[in-house]
Amino acid sequence: MSERFSRLAAAMDRLYEFDREPVTPDKLQSGAKFAGLFAGEHVAATEFVIGAFFVLHGVGARDLLWGLLIGNLLAVLSWTFICAPIAVRTRLTLYWYLRKIAGPGVTFLCNIANAFLYCVLAGAMISVSATAAGLLVGIPVPKLGTVLPSSLGWVLICLVLGAAFTTVAILGFAKLSRFAEIASPWIFVVFIAGALAMLPRLGVRPDLGNIWEVATTKIWNGVAAAGQEKFGFWHVLFFAWFCNLAMHVGLSDMAIFRYARKWTYGFFSAFGMYPGHMLAWIASGVMVAAVGREMHPGLMASEAVGIAGIAGVLLAGWTTANPTLYRAGLALQTITPGWPRWKITLLAGAATTVLACFPVFFLKLLDYVAIYGLVLMPIGAIVFAEHWIFPLLGLEQYRAEKEGWTFNGAALAVWLGTLAVAFVLPLHLYFRWLPCWFVAVLAYTGLMAVRRPR
Amino acid sequence: MKNPFLTRLAGWLALLGLGSCLAAAALFFLGRIAESAYKRAFLIGSIVWFVLAAGRKMASGRDAPRNG
Repeated sequence: MSERFSRLAAAMDRLYEFDREPVTPDKLQSGAKFAGLFAGEHVAATEFVIGAFFVLHGVGARDLLWGLLIGNLLAVLSWTFICAPIAVRTRLTLYWYLRKIAGPGVTFLCNIANAFLYCVLAGAMISVSATAAGLLVGIPVPKLGTVLPSSLGWVLICLVLGAAFTTVAILGFAKLSRFAEIASPWIFVVFIAGALAMLPRLGVRPDLGNIWEVATTKIWNGVAAAGQEKFGFWHVLFFAWFCNLAMHVGLSDMAIFRYARKWTYGFFSAFGMYPGHMLAWIASGVMVAAVGREMHPGLMASEAVGIAGIAGVLLAGWTTANPTLYRAGLALQTITPGWPRWKITLLAGAATTVLACFPVFFLKLLDYVAIYGLVLMPIGAIVFAEHWIFPLLGLEQYRAEKEGWTFNGAALAVWLGTLAVAFVLPLHLYFRWLPCWFVAVLAYTGLMAVRRPR
Repeated sequence: MKNPFLTRLAGWLALLGLGSCLAAAALFFLGRIAESAYKRAFLIGSIVWFVLAAGRKMASGRDAPRNG
């Protein structure tokens, strides 16, 4: 078993060989690059769904604004004080740093979990795009609460889009990535212009004199849609905070912050959070209210911006599903060593396309985002403990690397144990990750202290 | 578009296209133009943005830090 994992780990290492060495000083990037990167990455297809769901969950206008302001600030601070300092000190990706801490076996399992979670996320993005494509050919969008594919037409449109996205991902990931950099400012404009154009339909006067009244009575009026749980300030705050939990507290964004000159570059994440996770969410809330609170991103954008809106939803889904598919493929490649790149992307794309047919993933996107962050958060907690707390307590660091462990049993136990605690914790799903992060940090530190070499 | 002047010009014109999308929405909100005119202007501004920004991107070929 251990030998098999060692072989898999060796194959996995070859895949990530290109970023094995710490980033050298000549490769460091300016703050403007980070601002641009964050601004581009956080205006995605899912923004059409998340902001709209806050309306359907009956969030009040004041709760929304304060929740987004503070929640996004906490996300920025998490990048700045948790992720960026470790990345700048090590200049490594999470993959290589985790390998030193938890061993190649745990890193392998983390990769597989990541691949599956990426596939679901890309599937949700394809579903969002399908709402736009379906509008063109008259295919109805599944109703709220639908779990299984609702019609043959929906399945067909998801299959066609999934096949198209996968083909493009196989043929030209790099080119599409460059195209995505062009598309993202325009997608942001679709959100802002769309919301502005929908305000008259909601009764907002050109002098904006009644905008707060409209916002509190017709958009975020505090009334949840039928079958939707009522959300308040804390739900919004925690959602905004954990929306990218895997990236900041979970430390996935070490991959980009290792290029930062200083840890304070973490503050540049605000360029992604406030336009993408505040303004775009507010805009999609306005749009959903203007179309009679129907969760239909294609219809929302089409009514707001016309044919360009439909293109906007399609592009937003496409450009964000593509890197997600790529990352899923990269992670999956570890279990199929020797497979060519196209074959593994095809496998990831096929899995993603099948998942996209199930509307539950985009209609329960908020819960999925919470679960996604929760599953990967303990890995970040383990790395945080080993990086910061071990030196303070005089515990030896990187024992997995020094002693050649395939699995750091303590790390694996803490990861799985934390998820078990999260499962039984009598708290709302959105609030569970925070106490569980402390549980993971304490448990890992305690277990490794007990395993201290004599 | 190897000429730096043309590259810069394409960049500014692309931004103008993007700005015209927002301006059209603002004019529609203020009731100065009809909905059909707003949506048409948005579409044209979008095409201008994509054509010029893509051309400029291909010419400059700059990359951001890579996420791994």
